[in-house]
Amino acid sequence: MEGFADFWATYSTLIFTVGIHALLAFSIWLTLACGLLSLANAAFMGIGAYTAALLTLQLNWPFPVVLAAGSMAPAVVALAIGVPTLRLSGVYLCMATLAFGEVSRVVILNLDITGGPEGLNGIPLTTQWWHIALILALVGYGLARLRRSRVGRAFEAIKEDEVAARLMGIDVDRHKLFAFTLGAVIAGLAGALNAHYTFFISPREYGFENAVDILTMTVLGGISSLIGPLLGATILTLLPELLRFLHSYRLAVNGVILVLVVLFLPTGLWDGRRIRAWFERRGGGR
Amino acid sequence: MLEQQLLNGLTLGSVYALFALGFTLIFGVLAVINLSHGAVFMVGSYAALFVVTHFAAPLWLGLIAAMLVSGFIGLGVDVLILKPLRARNAPHLIPMIATIGVTIILTNAIQGLFGVEVQRFPEEVLPAADFVVGEVHVRALEIGIVAIAFLLMALLFFALKKTQLGRALRAIAESPKTAALLGIDVEGLFHLTSFAAAALGGVAGVLIGLDFNAITPFMGQPILLKGVAVIVLGGMGDIRGALIGGLFLGFAEVFSKGYISSQIGDAVAFGLLFLILLIRPSGLFGRVLERKG
Amino acid sequence: MNILRKFLVILAGASLSCAACAADIKIGVAEALTGGAAQYGIPNRNGFQLAADEINAKGGVNGNRLQLVVEDEQGKKEEAINVFKKLIFQDKVLIIFGPTLSNSMFAAGPVANAAKTVAFGTSNTANGITDIGPYIFRNSVMESDVLPITIATAVKHYRIKKVAVIYGNDDAFTKSGYDVFKKVLEEQKIPVTTTETYVKGDVDFKAQLTKIKGGNPDAVVCSCLAEEAANIMLQARGLGIKVPFVGGNGFNSPKLFEISKLAGEGTFVGSPWANNNPAPANQHFVAAYKQKFGSEPNQFAAQAYDALNIAAAALQTLKLSGNLEADRQALRDALPRVSINGATGPFKFRPAAGKDGKPAGFDAEQKPFIYIVQGGKFTLYAGK
Repeated sequence: MEGFADFWATYSTLIFTVGIHALLAFSIWLTLACGLLSLANAAFMGIGAYTAALLTLQLNWPFPVVLAAGSMAPAVVALAIGVPTLRLSGVYLCMATLAFGEVSRVVILNLDITGGPEGLNGIPLTTQWWHIALILALVGYGLARLRRSRVGRAFEAIKEDEVAARLMGIDVDRHKLFAFTLGAVIAGLAGALNAHYTFFISPREYGFENAVDILTMTVLGGISSLIGPLLGATILTLLPELLRFLHSYRLAVNGVILVLVVLFLPTGLWDGRRIRAWFERRGGGR
Repeated sequence: MLEQQLLNGLTLGSVYALFALGFTLIFGVLAVINLSHGAVFMVGSYAALFVVTHFAAPLWLGLIAAMLVSGFIGLGVDVLILKPLRARNAPHLIPMIATIGVTIILTNAIQGLFGVEVQRFPEEVLPAADFVVGEVHVRALEIGIVAIAFLLMALLFFALKKTQLGRALRAIAESPKTAALLGIDVEGLFHLTSFAAAALGGVAGVLIGLDFNAITPFMGQPILLKGVAVIVLGGMGDIRGALIGGLFLGFAEVFSKGYISSQIGDAVAFGLLFLILLIRPSGLFGRVLERKG
Repeated sequence: MNILRKFLVILAGASLSCAACAADIKIGVAEALTGGAAQYGIPNRNGFQLAADEINAKGGVNGNRLQLVVEDEQGKKEEAINVFKKLIFQDKVLIIFGPTLSNSMFAAGPVANAAKTVAFGTSNTANGITDIGPYIFRNSVMESDVLPITIATAVKHYRIKKVAVIYGNDDAFTKSGYDVFKKVLEEQKIPVTTTETYVKGDVDFKAQLTKIKGGNPDAVVCSCLAEEAANIMLQARGLGIKVPFVGGNGFNSPKLFEISKLAGEGTFVGSPWANNNPAPANQHFVAAYKQKFGSEPNQFAAQAYDALNIAAAALQTLKLSGNLEADRQALRDALPRVSINGATGPFKFRPAAGKDGKPAGFDAEQKPFIYIVQGGKFTLYAGK
């Protein structure tokens, strides 16, 4: 038992981080499922984290309320910028979200209430493992149901061909806004949870590089099913830990993996169809 | 003070334009946002530094080294990564993601090879002259950068408009399939463009590393983000756009910092980017992204 | 059976006698060895390494060798937490040095504090670090101890009436330095013509400097890291700004002059360390560092070197029982009593005031030296 206690003491934060990254990967998955490439989720995470941390530090509100506020604040912002930006397509949308992310980071950096570059410290340790596990399970379940629902099918149609979807009578704009905003909610929630087990947050954690990290995890795992983001988040969070011996080169490994996956496994590591086909071939070949 | 700030805007803008030229060229011909352009920019700087410090070579040799090293990396990225993705007709966000991977690899490899300490070119290679005209101060290197930016833009623009090669490239930019039907060696020109654009990036890296007296593995990142703003402002794929967009951004940043507040300086580029995307996504000179087959 | 029993006896005897013989003292080092913060983390690590090697060469502390367990925290807060946890719970170190950035200490310090293990920062200068708890120590002198003296000295020397200020507003170190500068300038009643900012990675300061020039200050106060400081000085001179600079802690690096050459003449800097401080302890450190690492040390290396020696001095007074918790507590209790004469000069600890009456850790109690740059070198300022 002491072995487990030691293991948990050493690695609990790492495991929490896997959970948070999985939530973030889900949030990007959602937007990608609708054909949107958004780099804004790191900024939404930041907005959620700061909202939650400030409420805890200044007003001492109970944790569930703080979490709720942390997920609603980015939603409000997402709605506000979503309406004008979601008209843009593909690459332009991607860059608009990138721009939004950078502007938010600079705003947070320059406000006094957010502590500026010194960030907020002394955030109490309130997140427990079961918070993350429960929320992850609920979000995963919710997204799985969403996928199979009419909304999910509409997303699929929009992703395939937006023009055709519109002709079919799908309210494309409303659906895109929904995906975008819900993604912001999940990202904000992840941020709020993260703030309450790392004691400290600063604007630097919610910038372009972080948005790229989340995107990488999701692309790596594959977006054809919800297992992909989970897998991608787990691998890319744990891998650097295992590769400590490579020193500076261990981050290069992430880059290599990304390139290899894009080239050879375009549907990501976990693609239900490809795996089934592989099994069938093995079975049939006998 | 106004004249000095105008000059400051001009020089900063030329720096951005120099970077954006290669960036926009790749977009125009290959229709790919090559996010590894910042990394090849940085590698070019290191290549020149290596040659100048280890072989006591003059600066122009360093520039050639930068062009070659960056160029071949750009070529490699095209042959090994972009070409298979083209063959597979991948949606254009996928190559962008792959080039992000290339950036991660290059940045960390250089970190491992050269360390994170800021390096600089030895003093002997720095052009030293300073000029003072009235109240305005300017360095010879800055004049050089402005001149090179304008010159390169003019050369590229002329080449694209008047030469056979340029016409072929413009045909590809319109529609690669049609160009192929016309007998143009599309793949070959893709490779050439990747090489040339990356080489341009490498040269920009050397000049900027000289001007700002600082070379680090991370120097490509901030300028890449500014580069995105520039090419959208100026119109993606347009050479004049790269120069005009770069100058516009340079002036906008300098004047916001000089006359409003230096705190918002960083946000200016992205605020502008956001606005332009909402109002006129094709930028000043650009055409819309959709390409006919 | 006879042979087996003999064997067991010998084995038992050997292990018993080994309990009395030298056991390695495990010391954790969590620094940023990769990423943007590595330029501070690596000199930190080097400083620890140098000190530990010197101590071990002399036979260790009370006959016990110091064993450094070094981990890379990448300058990221989650990594800092992970590394701290690994060092505390898996490697079971007695004390942790680091992390590199103040931000990382805010994240990981509470972990060490809760585990009743000392976290000793050597490069954390932000406000509030030692408020984290009674197990947090640092020997990095706070700007609020240094800057008032620097400004007062510069003002007197140059007869300064008004200044312009420039600082990096996206880095906790330079921003908190600015906060101190601002307070000091107000207290000493020196008007500020304009306050300009830049962000890390910025290399072009001409817009801000042109504005500064327009305000005609008598000096330019910079809260900047050495890299940007050097470029700011160069560009300022290039624009025709002739007035002197007054720098914060970040100026204190040999790099400053490598880059800016004579552009920095007449700059005032206050710091506990400069490489040509003639004190023998410092000269020994500088020479040893150059020999071992082949480059000039900087302030970070010096503070790390001293920090390890401080911890060693505390360990010297202890008899380690082998019980991890007891030993960690004993070390924590012994540290505040230590005073040494290190590369950064005479040093002792000072208890931190603490926030809302909560128990806090220990800061550095060190007098800064004021240096003026002459001939491209830091020279101890003689005038009073």
